[in-house]
Amino acid sequence: MKRHPTLRAAITSVLAASVAVSTVSPAFAQRTVGQRPDITTDEGGLWAQSDKAEMEAKTKAELNRDPELTLYVREVACRVAAEYCSDIRVYVMDRPYFNASMASNGYMEVWSGLMLRARSESELAFVLGHEVSHFSHGHSLATWRTMKSRSNVGMVLMLAGGGIVGSLLYLGVMSTVFAFSREQETEADRLSFERTVKAGYDPAAAAALWLSLREETAASDFPKTRASDTRGSIFNTHPITPDRIAALEALAAGRAAPSEGERARYRAQIRKFLPAWLVDDLRRRDYGQTLHLIDRLAADGEDLGVLEFYRGEAFRRRRLDGDQDKALEAYASASGRPDAPVAVWRELGDMLGKSGKPMEARAAWETYLAKAIDAEDRWLVEASLKKLNEGSES
Amino acid sequence: MIARHLRAATAIAALVVLSACATIKPVPAGPYASGGNQITVGRTWTDMGPLFGASRGVRLLSIDGPQLNRLFVIDGLKAGEFILRPASKERPTPTWKAGLTPTEQVEFLADTLAAMQYHRIETDNLRPVKVGERSGVRFDISAQTVDGLNISGIAQLVEAQDRLYVLLYLAPAEHYFEATRAEVEAIMASARVTG
Repeated sequence: MKRHPTLRAAITSVLAASVAVSTVSPAFAQRTVGQRPDITTDEGGLWAQSDKAEMEAKTKAELNRDPELTLYVREVACRVAAEYCSDIRVYVMDRPYFNASMASNGYMEVWSGLMLRARSESELAFVLGHEVSHFSHGHSLATWRTMKSRSNVGMVLMLAGGGIVGSLLYLGVMSTVFAFSREQETEADRLSFERTVKAGYDPAAAAALWLSLREETAASDFPKTRASDTRGSIFNTHPITPDRIAALEALAAGRAAPSEGERARYRAQIRKFLPAWLVDDLRRRDYGQTLHLIDRLAADGEDLGVLEFYRGEAFRRRRLDGDQDKALEAYASASGRPDAPVAVWRELGDMLGKSGKPMEARAAWETYLAKAIDAEDRWLVEASLKKLNEGSES
Repeated sequence: MIARHLRAATAIAALVVLSACATIKPVPAGPYASGGNQITVGRTWTDMGPLFGASRGVRLLSIDGPQLNRLFVIDGLKAGEFILRPASKERPTPTWKAGLTPTEQVEFLADTLAAMQYHRIETDNLRPVKVGERSGVRFDISAQTVDGLNISGIAQLVEAQDRLYVLLYLAPAEHYFEATRAEVEAIMASARVTG
C-alpha cells in the first residue's frame, strides 16, 4: 500500500522533531530508595500517571490474583534489587505476550507471556533486573520528557494540519510513551546482568532468553512477523539484535553456572498456570510460535502430559496438511503420561473417529467417560459412541 | 506494536459502542431476521445497526443500551468467515470451519469472545437444542470485561448447510442478565434457520 505523501512528509517532520528532542534529554542520576518527587514537578506528573495506571491495574480482569505467584515474582525482584524492595509492587497480568514494565512509582507489571517463556528463575530475574535498571536510572522520566515534547509537536501538527492525518500522527507519537532508547536498553541489559550475577543467578540466562525470543520470532506463521525484529517487550522499540546477545554472552564467558535444579524450582512455581496460559497463547493464533514455545517448555522432560496435549491442540486448531496426524500423535503421547488432562481422551476419540479408526476411537471415548464422571459433555461423547455402535451393527 | 494494539482496541471499542452514524431503529415485538437467522422478540428491542469491525451478517440488538445488554444475531457464517474482523493479518480472529464438533463450536465462540477483549471466559451447561428441525447446542457463558465487570451470557449455535447461525446474549451478571434472561431464552427457543 502506498503511503500518502502528505502523511509521509508529516511523519518525517515529527520524527525529526522527536530525534531533536531526544538528543537533548539530560542524563539522570541513580534514584534514591523511597524517593517521591514534588507533585508540582514534571516527575511528579509522571508519578501521578503511574499511580493512576496502578489503581486501574488492581481491577483489571487480566490481573492474576494468586497471592503465591505474586509473592514469588516479588521475591525474585527483591533478590535482584534488594535496595529497592520496599519501592517495588508487583502485579502479574495474564496476558499472552512477552512483557514486563516498571513505572517510576515502583509499580511493576509482569505478563504471563513472559512467565511462560522464561525457562528458569534466572531468566525471569534478568528481565526483572532489566526493568529495575530502567527504574533505578530514571529512564522512564527521560522517556516521559521526550514523549511530552513529541506529543506537543504532534499536537501542533494536528492543529495545523487538522483532520485524520493530524490525528494519526498524534496517536503515532503517543505510541512511543513507553519506548526506551537503544542506549537505555543496552545499559539496562548490562546493569541487569550485573545485578543477577551478584544475586547468584545463571550468567548465561540473559543471552539464552533473548536468543530464544529471536528463535520464536523466526518460528512465526506470519512472514511479516518472521521478517520483523524481535522485541524484549511490547513497549520496546529497540530490537534484540545479535550484537546485544553477543555482548551478554561476552559478559557471561567463564562465569560459573547456577546450582542444579534451578529450572525445576521455577517450573514448580508456574506449573498450575500452564494450561490457562497455553490456552491464552493458542488464542493468539500464531501456531508456529506456540509450537516453538511448547518445544522449549518440554525440553527438560517435565509436564509432558500437559504439554503434549497442548501440542495436539495447536495442530488440531491449525489444520494444515498433515496436522491431523501430528495432533493424533501428540494426543497419543499425552495419554501415556500421568499428568495428561482428561480432555486428551475426548480429543483422541474425535481424532481417531475422523481417521477411520472406530475401535481405537471407542476405547478413547470410553476411557474419557470413565475418567470424566461429571463432564458436561458426556452426552456428546455418549452420542458419538452410540453412533459408532449403530454403524458397526448395520 | 502499540499502534497495532490501538487499532485492535479501536475495532473492538467500535464493535461494542457502535458507529455513531449507524442506522439505529426499534425492533417491535414480533419476528426479526438477520439473513437466514430468524427469531421472535417478546418486547421492543433496538437494532443497533451494522457493526464496524464485525462481519456483515452480525446484528446487535439491545434493550437498555449495548453496555447493559447485547443480543448478537448472526447470519450463517460460511467457511473462512469470522464474527470479528481481524485488526491485521498477524492478529487473526477465529474463523468458522464447516464440520466442527460441538466442542469445537463452543471453542470457536469462546475464542471470538477473547478476540472481543473479554477475559476469564468460561462455558458451562452445554446442552442440545432443537431449532426447528435442526440440532444445535446451547451453553452458558461467564466472563469479565477488561475492567473486571462480571458478565453472564447464553449462546446458541446451529450448523445448517455448512453455515453457522449464532445467537449470543451478554449482559452484566449483576441485575441485567437475570432481568432479561426469560426474554432471551424465549427468543432462543423461537429461533428458526431458513438458510
